[in-house]
Amino acid sequence: MTEIATPAPVRIDSPAKRIAKQFVEDPIAVIGLILFVLIALIAIAAPWIAPQNPYDLMQLSIMDGGLPPGETSFATGQTFWLGTDQQGRDMLSGIMYGLRISLMVAVVSLTLAITIGTIVGVAAAYFGGRFDSIVMRIVDLQLSFPAILIALILLALLGRGVDKVILALVIVQWAYYARTVRSSAMVETRKDYIDAARCLGLSNRRIMFRHLLPNCVPPLIVVATVQIAQAIALEATLSFLGVGVPITEPSLGLLIANGYDYLLSGRYWVSVFPGIALVVTIIAINVVGDRLRDVLNPRLQT
Amino acid sequence: MKAFGLPLIAGVMAAGLAPAAAQNLSIGLKSEATSMDPQFHQLSTNIQVSKNIFEALTTQDALQMVTPGLAESWEAVDDTTWRFKLRQGVKFHDGSDFTARDVIYSFCRVPLVENSPSAYTIFTGGIADMAAEDDHTLTITTTATNPLLPVDLWSLAILSANALGADDQVTYGPDGTCEGMGDVPQAPAFNDPAVAVGTGPYILDRYNRGSEVVVTRFDGYWGGTPQWEQVTMRPITSDGPRVAALLAGDVDMIESPPIQDIPRIEQDGFTIVDALSNRVIYLHMLQQEDAPGIGGTDGENPLLDARVRQAISMSINREAITERIMGGYAQAAGELLPPPMFGTSERPVEAYDPERARELLAEAGYPDGFSITLGTPNDRYINDEQVAQAVAQMLAQIGISVSVDASTASQFFSRRNALEFPVYLAGWGASSGDMSSPLKSLVATYDETLGMGPTNAGRYSNPEMDELLMTAMATIDDEARDQMLQDAQTLVLDDYGIIPLHYEQTVWAMKPDLTYEPRVDQYTLAAEVKSAAE
Repeated sequence: MTEIATPAPVRIDSPAKRIAKQFVEDPIAVIGLILFVLIALIAIAAPWIAPQNPYDLMQLSIMDGGLPPGETSFATGQTFWLGTDQQGRDMLSGIMYGLRISLMVAVVSLTLAITIGTIVGVAAAYFGGRFDSIVMRIVDLQLSFPAILIALILLALLGRGVDKVILALVIVQWAYYARTVRSSAMVETRKDYIDAARCLGLSNRRIMFRHLLPNCVPPLIVVATVQIAQAIALEATLSFLGVGVPITEPSLGLLIANGYDYLLSGRYWVSVFPGIALVVTIIAINVVGDRLRDVLNPRLQT
Repeated sequence: MKAFGLPLIAGVMAAGLAPAAAQNLSIGLKSEATSMDPQFHQLSTNIQVSKNIFEALTTQDALQMVTPGLAESWEAVDDTTWRFKLRQGVKFHDGSDFTARDVIYSFCRVPLVENSPSAYTIFTGGIADMAAEDDHTLTITTTATNPLLPVDLWSLAILSANALGADDQVTYGPDGTCEGMGDVPQAPAFNDPAVAVGTGPYILDRYNRGSEVVVTRFDGYWGGTPQWEQVTMRPITSDGPRVAALLAGDVDMIESPPIQDIPRIEQDGFTIVDALSNRVIYLHMLQQEDAPGIGGTDGENPLLDARVRQAISMSINREAITERIMGGYAQAAGELLPPPMFGTSERPVEAYDPERARELLAEAGYPDGFSITLGTPNDRYINDEQVAQAVAQMLAQIGISVSVDASTASQFFSRRNALEFPVYLAGWGASSGDMSSPLKSLVATYDETLGMGPTNAGRYSNPEMDELLMTAMATIDDEARDQMLQDAQTLVLDDYGIIPLHYEQTVWAMKPDLTYEPRVDQYTLAAEVKSAAE
């Protein structure tokens, strides 16, 4: 808007290009992004690159259980670079598949939670009034309980399973997005272009989703990057506590839990390697998220 | 604050009594006693504490053989009458003499205990009458033939009639109709050492729920002076901290260290003792038309076919489980109770033969296998969830695809009792130490009114076996009963009605200057812990 008043011609970058340009100024953020992409690729390609399918019981043999890193299998002769757990599961393959489950659960629950949260948030801001108060009181109520507590109660009721973990995460997380989207939409709703759109007689739906929503996206992206790391950690916590994914299809949290019993006896690899994978993933996402927040938030820019 | 204060006080006391410090013993227990009343809750964690304070007419040694306790000897006069000679010169902790009146009072009190979570009335319900011929001779009449009466009596603690306020004359009547009982104290009263008066080697000093039970030496004990000046029993329920407490020297001995930590504990110079327990871990299969959790069979229940059950049994490599999952602290099981216990037949362990198992499946009409859910608790038995996963792995090798449904014990047991699992893994410890216990509970035809098959959630039913078992349970002659129980078990196992996997081994870890004779019943009896020097 200010550019129009500028006398000298200035090259105007598209927003995406501007964001990308500012993002790469921070080398740590770039490393984080590269790590994250790498992790995501490993997770996606796990069935093709993992030495073993740790979820296929046919491929496991308890005779290979508890081998330290670098040992070879009695049954197949393959080398277990990161050792095996008690069931003879190759830890390297286990981590790859575990990453896959952890990321899949996080991304799916994130997408669903964002969708629900955004619709509810935009609608609450746009319509205001009683609808707004009711929805936001629900959000307040939910945010006042710790997420882990709500998730634990839900899973205790629903039972174990990937689908149930996703459902629990969606229920826990939608409120964050609803609140974020509502607050930015509240600001936008009072602006002239929305009034203009109303005067043109556009439908509520069109105004909300074509005009209002795009202007609420930046804060949403920031919250989403923080929340995806949260979702991964939450899933890991739930699985660690034994209420998450089924034991024959371990995610990172469950792998850590399986190895927890063996820490005192010196079989560190069962717990430590999945732990490292989890930490690296979460840090990478957080670094990227932090940088995005800096880039997207005009107030933080000098 | 309390949690910090107590060890400090204990430390100060130990320092003050420096020369006597070696006379004290502290034990880290896996779970806590729920009451000091020995007739309140039939639970091993309570029993192992109360056995230090209270005694019974009979005792069971480390191998669960019945030996004389407060009764010196006994004889069966006829099928339903027993005569017991009580030990002379036995004193209670308060100095009073032990007589037949105390026995009658104690048995009379059992049905009068209120709100018991697991009552002792199953041991007194069959007693029709009791009479004292003199102070140290007692006859007991049972309603039906009960060859296991001496075994049952070890569960019934003898209380002091005087300390509990009985009249001078106590007359027996069945089911709580005794006379002369006075005002019967309930379980909470036993937290007071003046009420918890027994004849055992140790006197209750204090019971602090959640932190410790302390008992001190009873110098007037009839069996000689007990070894320890004072014994502290601390519940440390988490495995890690319990091991750490031993390694750090906070306790002298712990029960049930996790198997994976045993090498580490041994390496640090501690003594490990272990014994085969009377607990068998088994797979039970739902043998009725309508079974949930089975796929790929067009709605049929393949477990009704004995060949399928045999295939499941043959596909399991029990040695691999005991070696790899149980770290050698288990023994592959061929029966429902480890031999040479009463009623066992030295039946060999099922040989691991996946080829034959596959053939059997094909013969039964399932060449491509089927899918099934395996239920298991994940915090009840040693490495239960791991064992279930290993079983799933082995069944996968013969084409049965298994999904393991693991849940916490309370959830598991209620779901199991609702018949939600087509196959489940569980364990059974025979408290009586004989074969009638697993047969009656696990495989006898389920009948609520008769009290048969209460834990038979596979609904296995074999009328021939039921009849044999009933006859055995009413036979006084030990040799004949032994043979009948062996035959009954053989009927079930030949039919693959239930699949035994392994016997758990119970492990204790202690300082090198202590010894403990490991017990089959898994009890940690402080009174039996000895100094290694002797």
